[in-house]
Amino acid sequence: MKRFVALLGKEHRAVFSSPIAYSLITVFLLLMGYTFTSILFVNKVASLAHIFFQMSALFLLMVPIMSMRLVAEERKTGTLEVLLTAPVREIEVILAKFVASMTLVAVMLALSVSYPVVLAVYGRPDWGPVYSGYLGLLLFAGALLAVGLVVSSLTSNQIVAAVISLGIFFLLWMIDSVGYLLPEPFDTISVNLSLLAHFSPFALGSVFLSDVGFFFSVILVGLLLSVRALARR
Amino acid sequence: MASIIVAEQLTKWYGSRLAVDRVSLEVRAGEVLGLLGPNGSGKTTILRILTGYLHPSSGTVRIAGLDTVHDALAVKRLVGYVPENAPLYDGMRVREFLGLMARLKGVAGSDVATCVDQVHVRLDLEQVAGRQIGTLSKGFRQRVAIAQALLGTPDILVLDEPGNGLDPRQTIELRDLIRSLSGAFTVVVSSHILSEIERVADRAAILVAGHLLAIHPLRGVEVRRRLRVEVRGDADRVRSHLAQVHGVGAVIAARPSGHDTSVYLLDVDGPGLAERVAAALVDAGFGLIELRDESIDLETLFLGLTGGKPPRSAAA
Repeated sequence: MKRFVALLGKEHRAVFSSPIAYSLITVFLLLMGYTFTSILFVNKVASLAHIFFQMSALFLLMVPIMSMRLVAEERKTGTLEVLLTAPVREIEVILAKFVASMTLVAVMLALSVSYPVVLAVYGRPDWGPVYSGYLGLLLFAGALLAVGLVVSSLTSNQIVAAVISLGIFFLLWMIDSVGYLLPEPFDTISVNLSLLAHFSPFALGSVFLSDVGFFFSVILVGLLLSVRALARR
Repeated sequence: MASIIVAEQLTKWYGSRLAVDRVSLEVRAGEVLGLLGPNGSGKTTILRILTGYLHPSSGTVRIAGLDTVHDALAVKRLVGYVPENAPLYDGMRVREFLGLMARLKGVAGSDVATCVDQVHVRLDLEQVAGRQIGTLSKGFRQRVAIAQALLGTPDILVLDEPGNGLDPRQTIELRDLIRSLSGAFTVVVSSHILSEIERVADRAAILVAGHLLAIHPLRGVEVRRRLRVEVRGDADRVRSHLAQVHGVGAVIAARPSGHDTSVYLLDVDGPGLAERVAAALVDAGFGLIELRDESIDLETLFLGLTGGKPPRSAAA
């Protein structure tokens, strides 16, 4: 456990000492602030559903930037060799990287709590969809990070990692739209793989165990594959 | 002396490329073993397998009786590793990085500062302890890399091409450092520079194209010196006289070189035997025509084994 805490400290330092984290937070808050204000003035409804969809779309673009360096950078600079010849387990390394990246996501989401606070000050929002929306965003970002971590574990080129992650995210985002054109059972499979299909209920205020299970499964499979990729030497 | 590292039939394939081919070697506790070979000869691969970073395609390595694949974590606690080009976290400060590595190597929280201070002193890093690693010179980077390898009191130090890119002064300092570590640690060091291995190692393992060609002693009791002596006189009597000289191990070759002269190769136990051999031959009334040191040095052996091709950088 002490080793994991040390690794987590290292990863937190790597995330928050980099200008990338602050650029992402700034851009995220500026874009979401603009969207929140615009939608609020047009609709005059105390709801965050639109914002949650916007945030999820923005995460599709931002998570590859967060995840691309996680392992690829260490592989490229050779520090992975230093890390993995110390008495640490691959799973500790991967978990530390995942948790540190999730902390950045959590900070971004925590700073966006100002939006529901504004709604509460000037209106009476329905808090259920707000809670489910944030839970959905956390699970959604976690799934994206886990997939991004797998890709970053397979290459030493950060740009390649980012581009491939982006491709996979978009494919998983819109796979249900082409799924209907496929014969059985591929149509059902493709619809069930859709990130949007599983995220939408959260944004609209419904929490289904199947959706929670889907995101947890993606996270677990992603972390396991990352560990395998790291152990494959 | 007991072997702390035992590699048996070590083989490593990278896809269809054979990097290491059935290498077997043993490293004794406290000695410095040098891996010498040109670039691409498999040195780094062997070192990575010793540290548990790579798994062999076949064969085994046991470190203090532990298998590097099945007991990987326990092996990593016994081995401190300095990879080639000293990869470090450039954004971290020296003290911070060494503190992290100490924690990863299982040093108790209350002892981390003491351990880090000790390696600072040992490697003369106090003056740069607060500096960012990315701003350090190559020599200091190498020292920081060695310092992290020393944390957690490992039994074995593995250094991959530690002299790469160092200036002459840094090279001499590094050489002295490695020699100072021998005894307290078992050191395995690789280099493609023959003179570096000759100066720091007790034994040199010569690798070419993934094959271990020879292990040559450079220091200690195994180092055999050889004298070549040309003598006039009856060959059998000369041979019998030479064999009786104290310190002459064996008369390993004799061939006629003239009408009544022969050349003899003598295995001798150490320096100073030449005078004794000369005195014994002259006292016995033989004609001493020539006597010279014929000890095989590492360069001669390397050139002999590799068909006259010196390691690339050594030749440059």
